[in-house]
Amino acid sequence: MVDPIFSSEIYQLAGKLMDASALRQDAIAANLANAETPGYRRMDVSPDFAAQLKASAESGSLADAPNPTLVEDPNARAVRADGNNVEIEHELLAMNQSSVEYEYEANIVTSNIKQLKMAISGQVSAS
Amino acid sequence: MNLITGIDVTADALEAQKTRLDIVAQNIANAQTTRTDKGGPYQRQVVSFATELLRRSDDTSVQTVKVASITPDPTPGQQVYNPQHPDAGPDGMVTMPNVNLAYEMVDLITASRAYEANLSFAKNARNLAMKTLDIGK
Repeated sequence: MVDPIFSSEIYQLAGKLMDASALRQDAIAANLANAETPGYRRMDVSPDFAAQLKASAESGSLADAPNPTLVEDPNARAVRADGNNVEIEHELLAMNQSSVEYEYEANIVTSNIKQLKMAISGQVSAS
Repeated sequence: MNLITGIDVTADALEAQKTRLDIVAQNIANAQTTRTDKGGPYQRQVVSFATELLRRSDDTSVQTVKVASITPDPTPGQQVYNPQHPDAGPDGMVTMPNVNLAYEMVDLITASRAYEANLSFAKNARNLAMKTLDIGK
């Protein structure tokens, strides 16, 4: 009975999305660090990841969904004269957005675990 | 994977920006220095950055930043007529350092803003790590 909870679709989906959000934080750290490196192109989570995750969610095989990867952002605008396309304001906004997403996904995982605890103990946990 | 994501990259970036601030301080301090070990006036130093591939133990890699070089600015210094100066030539002209205080101030502000941006990432990464530790509570 425990296994199906941790392999439930929503739990696995939240896990995968947390991976992606954490990886996006990595990319933003690299982008901010290289905001003034000539020729640097901003990195982001591969846009294929969302499509692949959606496909595996629809076919019910989330366990086989690929892990997110980092690629050069194909949608980046504004190339400066030195070939760098990082905009600090954009990165900080993306950082905030990604943090909110991460916290939301963490809350989903937490509420899943709380449901399991409630089922085991028959009591609503105090905190 | 690190618990605090991207903190290793941010550490390198803070280090690189701090080096740039050091060099700005050096340039401003030597804005009037007309005598150096190498002879001639002080030459303004310029910092440049380059990416460096950081490969982690879990086989992911990310591009961090490092100081590529600290090179002298080759622009000639301004010639000032000041025959009382000990470093004046026979024609009374002194070659001053090629430091332009306006450029240095712009560099100073850019470097400290970049430092702040990286620092705000570090704070945010810490909050996320705390959130991760709260999973299941």
